[in-house]
Amino acid sequence: MLQRLIHILWPSFLVAGVADILFTTLFDPLEILYRGEPLIEQRLAAYTVGFFVFWLLGIASSAMTCYFQRSADEINRCPLPPRKRPEGCPKRDDGSNCC
Amino acid sequence: MTDENKPASAETPIEQQLYAIRQTIQTRAVHGVFANWRVALVLITQLVYYGLPWLQWENRQAVLFDLAARKFYIFGLVFWPQDFVYLTGLLILAALSLFLFTAVAGRLWCGYACPQTVYTEIFMWVESWLEGDHVARKKLDASPWNANKLKKRGLKHVAWFALALWTGFTFVGYFTPIKELAVEFVSFGLGPWEAFWIFFYAFATWGNAGFMREQVCKYMCPYARFQSVMFDSDTLTVTYDNSIGEPRGPRSKKTDYKAAGLGTCVDCNVCVQVCPTGIDIRNGLQYECIGCAACIDGCDQIMDKMGYPRGLIRYTTENVVKGKYPDSGILKHILRPRTIIYTVLLTAIASAFLYSLATRVPLRVDVVRDRVALSKETDEGMIENVYRLQLINKDDQTHRYTIQAEGINGLQVVTASREVSAAPLQTIDIPVSLIADPVDLKGRSIEVTFNIRSTDDPGIHTEVGTKFFNR
Repeated sequence: MLQRLIHILWPSFLVAGVADILFTTLFDPLEILYRGEPLIEQRLAAYTVGFFVFWLLGIASSAMTCYFQRSADEINRCPLPPRKRPEGCPKRDDGSNCC
Repeated sequence: MTDENKPASAETPIEQQLYAIRQTIQTRAVHGVFANWRVALVLITQLVYYGLPWLQWENRQAVLFDLAARKFYIFGLVFWPQDFVYLTGLLILAALSLFLFTAVAGRLWCGYACPQTVYTEIFMWVESWLEGDHVARKKLDASPWNANKLKKRGLKHVAWFALALWTGFTFVGYFTPIKELAVEFVSFGLGPWEAFWIFFYAFATWGNAGFMREQVCKYMCPYARFQSVMFDSDTLTVTYDNSIGEPRGPRSKKTDYKAAGLGTCVDCNVCVQVCPTGIDIRNGLQYECIGCAACIDGCDQIMDKMGYPRGLIRYTTENVVKGKYPDSGILKHILRPRTIIYTVLLTAIASAFLYSLATRVPLRVDVVRDRVALSKETDEGMIENVYRLQLINKDDQTHRYTIQAEGINGLQVVTASREVSAAPLQTIDIPVSLIADPVDLKGRSIEVTFNIRSTDDPGIHTEVGTKFFNR
C-alpha cells in the first residue's frame, strides 16, 4: 500500500515541481488578475500555493491511472472467499461437494 | 495477512500482495578505499551545500535565488526570468555529464554524490554512533519498548531532526537571504511560507534519509530505471567475478582451495551484509545496485584475511569478465563512439554556454506600442508613432543610456530627456515617439530598429526591432 501511495504521490510531485518552475518563470504571479484584482499579494505564497495546486492535479491524474489499472479479472472477481459466498451462489463452495 | 486472505489450496488467491513487504536493512559498517571516497565526497558536497549561502559577494549573498524579487544572483552575475535559457543550458549540461559518467563508470553519481546517498550516510553515522553497530541495532529493533530503547531511539530522532532542520533551513537560505532568515529563525519570527518550506524540507530529509533509504532508489528514482540504456559492455560496474569466485563455499584458511576444487568466494555473506539496498551482488548486475562499492571494500577485507588476491568483487567491465580483454585493457576501452559523442556534445554545449555568458549584455529592452492609435499626423504633416520602451538595467552599477532609431530616412526620436539613467537592477519605462516625413515612407508598415547604448560603457548596447505604421 505504501508503495502504491508512492506511485501516486511521487511522479505528481516531480511534475508539480517542474510545472511550478515553468509557470512562475513565464508569468509573474503578482500580475495575475482575477476580475481586475491581483489574485495573490505575495510571490512566495503564490509559488507555494501554485506548487500544491499542480501537485493536487498530478495526484488526481496518478490516482486515476492506478484506479483504471485494475484488470477486468480483478473487477469481476467476487471479493468474498468461496466459503462465505451467499446461499445459492453458483460459485459458492462450502466444501460439501468435495470427497 | 489474515487466514481468509491466504491463498487456499487449489484456489486462486483472493487478493495478491502487490509488493514485497520491506524488511528494514541494518547494514554492517565497512572500511576501505571506496568507503573513504564516499566519506570524502559527503564532506565536500555538504561543505558546499551548508556553506555556500553564507558566502558574501560585494555586500550581498554570493549565491541567492531570490524568488520573492524574481532575481537570481550567482557571484558577479544577476539573472532574470528572461534568462531562463541559461537554466535550460545548465540542465542539458548536467544531463550530458551524467550520461558520460554513467557510460564510463556506471552509477558513480548514486554511489558517492546523490543527496539520497549522502544524507543516508550521514544519518547512518548518527545511528551507529547512538545505537551501536548493525548487530546492536538489530537487537534493538527486536527488543520490546523499554526505557533503554526509548532513550536510544529518542536521542537518535532528536539528532536526526536537528540535522534535517539545519538542512531545510539551508535549503530555504538559497531562496531568501539567509542572514535575515537566521535572525527570524532564532527569534521565532519566520514568515509562514519560509517556515513551511523549512519544515517541509526537513521532514522530507528526515523521512528519506532516516526511513525510506534504499526504497527511494528502488521505487522512486527514475535514473535507476533507465541506467541500463546508458551501460554497454565496456562500462565499469561493480562486478562479482564468477570465474574466480565459483564454486563458492566455506573452508579453513589452511585448505588449498584450488586442490579442493573451490573458488575464492568463502560464502561469508559480508557483501550482502554491507549492501545498503540488501541485494546479493553475486547474482549479477541488478537495477537495485547503486554502485556504492561497499561490497568491494567488504570482500577485499575478507580476501586479505584469507590471504587470497583482492578483486573477487571489483570495478570491471562485462567484456573483461567474458575474457575479451584483461583488466589492464579497460583504460583503452574508455574511448569508444558512445563516450566520444558525449564528450564532443558536452564540450560544444559548454563552450557555447560560456561564450554566451561571457558576452552577455546586462541590458534588456522591450518595446510596447501605444495601443490607442497606430499612428497619427502632427500639425506639421509628419507621421508620428508612439512607443513605450521598457528598459531593465541588469548590471549592478548605475548606467546612462541614449536612444536612437533607424530604418527610415530622417527618422526623428523624441524623448523627454536626451539621456535616461537606470539604477542597478532597475526597470524603467520610457515613452518615445518616432516622427517621419510621409514622403520617406514606403508601404503601410516599415521595420525600424531602436538602438540603446550606454554612454558610460561602450560594451553595453542592444538593438530591438519594431514596426512603424504609416497612416
